[in-house]
Amino acid sequence: MSTMDTLAIPAKNTHKVVINEASRKQGINTTKPVKANSTTQLERVLERGFKTTLKHGFLLMSGLLMVFPFIWMLSGSLKSNDEIFTNPLMIIPSTFNWQSFVDAFNSAPFGLYIINSFSVALFTTLLVIINSAMFAYAITQLKFKSKTFLYFVVMGCYMLPGAVTYIPSYITLARLGLLDSHMGLILSNAASVFGVFYLRQVFLKIHPSLIEAARIDGAGELKILWKIILPQCKAALATLFLITFITNYNSYMWPSLVITSQELNLIATGIRQFFIAEGNYGLNWSQIMAASTIAVLPLLVLFILCQKTILTGITNDNGVKE
Amino acid sequence: MNLNLQKWQNSSKVLFFIAPLMIPLITFWLVPFGWSVYISFTDWDYISPDYYFVGLENYQYMLEDGDFIQAMQNTFIFALGVVIPTVMIGLVFALLLHNNFKGSQFYRAVIFSPWITPTVAISIVWSWVFESKSGLVNLLLDKVGIAPIPWLESGDTAMFAVMVVTVWQAVSWTMLFYISALNKIPTSLYEASLIDGCSPWTRFYKITLPLISPTTFFLVIVNMITAIQAFDQFQILTQGGPSGSTRTLLYLFYQQAFEQYDMGPAAATSLIILLITGALTIANTVMGKRWVYY
Repeated sequence: MSTMDTLAIPAKNTHKVVINEASRKQGINTTKPVKANSTTQLERVLERGFKTTLKHGFLLMSGLLMVFPFIWMLSGSLKSNDEIFTNPLMIIPSTFNWQSFVDAFNSAPFGLYIINSFSVALFTTLLVIINSAMFAYAITQLKFKSKTFLYFVVMGCYMLPGAVTYIPSYITLARLGLLDSHMGLILSNAASVFGVFYLRQVFLKIHPSLIEAARIDGAGELKILWKIILPQCKAALATLFLITFITNYNSYMWPSLVITSQELNLIATGIRQFFIAEGNYGLNWSQIMAASTIAVLPLLVLFILCQKTILTGITNDNGVKE
Repeated sequence: MNLNLQKWQNSSKVLFFIAPLMIPLITFWLVPFGWSVYISFTDWDYISPDYYFVGLENYQYMLEDGDFIQAMQNTFIFALGVVIPTVMIGLVFALLLHNNFKGSQFYRAVIFSPWITPTVAISIVWSWVFESKSGLVNLLLDKVGIAPIPWLESGDTAMFAVMVVTVWQAVSWTMLFYISALNKIPTSLYEASLIDGCSPWTRFYKITLPLISPTTFFLVIVNMITAIQAFDQFQILTQGGPSGSTRTLLYLFYQQAFEQYDMGPAAATSLIILLITGALTIANTVMGKRWVYY
C-alpha cells in the first residue's frame, strides 16, 4: 500500500526486461515464455497504474477533506443569508453575493485589524531576529565564562507555558504603562527561545576560519555578524522570519488579554468579538464567513507565495539536530 | 591595569550582544516565573492591594476541587485524543508523500494550509460545521437518516468536536517531520530487504517503524505539549462548557485568573501545567536521541 511498493516495482520490472532481452539475443525461439512474461509485465504495469491511481485518489480525497472548511467558508461568505438556510448543501452559490464582505467591513474595522496584526507581527519578528542573532553570535563566537549556563537558562524557558508568565507579565506591562498598547505586545514577545536555538544551529555550521580571517583584518564583532555571518544564512533567516511572523499574526490568547480598545485589536481578537456580537451568532453566517475569509486570506496568500521556504524550512537540517 | 581594561572591554562586548535578548527574557519569562510561584502561595485577588500568604493552601484545595480534577482528566483525554490520531494520520500522509512525484508538492501544500491560518478564524468556520440546526455535519447525517446531534452543546460530544478541529490543524506539521525522517532512512536498507524478498508489511514493521521511532517519540511529546496548551479552539467552540466538560487546565487557569480574578489558585494551576510540560520536555531531552526542536 505504501510508497515502498512503488519503490519496489521499477526494480522488478527492469529485472524482467533484462531477462527478455537476454533471451532474445540468444536467438532462441522464445514465443511461449515471452508471451507469458509479457502478460505478467502487463499485469505489473496495470497493477502499478492501479496503485498510482489509488494513491492519487486517496490523496485527492484527503486533500479535499483538509481544505473543505476553507471551501465551506468561502461558499458561505458568497451566499446570501437566505440561501444558506434554504439551500444549505449547495457549495456553489446561485448568485455570487459580494455584499456580505461589504457588510462585514462596514460593521467592524477588519482592515484596521489586519494592519494592526501585520505591524505587530512584523516589528516583533524583526526584534526577534535581531536579538536572537546577536545572542546566538555571542554563544557561538565569543568567549566568556557563563556561556553554557546562559544557553541552558534560555533553553529552559522553552518549558515555560505561557500561562505561568501571563499574570506577572500582565502586571509588569500595567506598571510600565504599556497595557493596551502595541508596544507592550511587541516587547513582551521580543524574546524567542526558538529563534536562539534555530540560529545557533545555523551559526555553528559556519566555518570558523572565516571569522578568524575577519578578526585578523580588524573587523569589529558587529561587523562580522552583519557582513559575514548573516549574508551566509539568508535562507535560514527567511524561514525564521516566516515562522515567527505567522505565529505572531495568529496569536490570540495573550493579545486578547493585553489589548482592550477596539481600534488596537488584532485580527484574531477582532474576529472573535464580531463572532460573539449580539445577533451574529447563528443568524448571520454569511457575514461571519466573510469575516473569517478576510482573516484567513492574507495568510493563505503568504503561504502560496512562500510555501517552499516554509515547508522545507520547518524540517530541513537546520531545524533538526541529530 | 591593562589586563583589567581588556577584561572589562570583553565583558561589555558580551553584554552588548546578550542584553537585547536577556532584557525581555528576564522581564517577561524569568522574573514572571518566580513571581508566579510566589503568587501561588497567596490568596491575592488582583483588585485589593493586600493579600495573605497562605502557603500550600491553594495546592491542597486543588486536590479536593471537583473543577480541578475534572480539568485534569479533560486535559489528559484531550491530549491523548489529539496526539494518537495526529501522529497516525501524519505518518500515513508522510508515507504517501515522502517521495517526490508529480503533484506531491501540491498535496503537501494543501495538507499544510490549515496550520498556517489563525486558529480563531478556522474555529469559527468549524463552529458552523458543528452547528446543531444548520451545521454541515448534521445536514449530512440527516441525508443518511441519523437524527441531528447537538455537537457543541452536549457534554458527550463537545470534546470530540474540539479534538477533530485540533487534529485537522496539527496533522500537517507532524507529516512534515515524518517526511524528513523517512527521507533520512538509507535506501540501502530497503535494497537489502528487496533482495531478501521481504513483503512490504515486514519492511514497514522491521525497517521503517524502528528507524523513525525517535521521531515518533519526539512528535508524541511535542504534540502533547501543544495539546495541553490549546486555548483558541476551546474559547471559540465551547468556552470550556457544557458544564465544564471541555474545561482543560489551561482554560481553568484562564477562568480563575481573568474571569474570577483568583490569582493565587490560578497561579497554582499554571504551575501544575508547568510541571506536566516540564516533565514531558525532560523526557524528550533525556530519551530522544536526536533532540529535535519546535
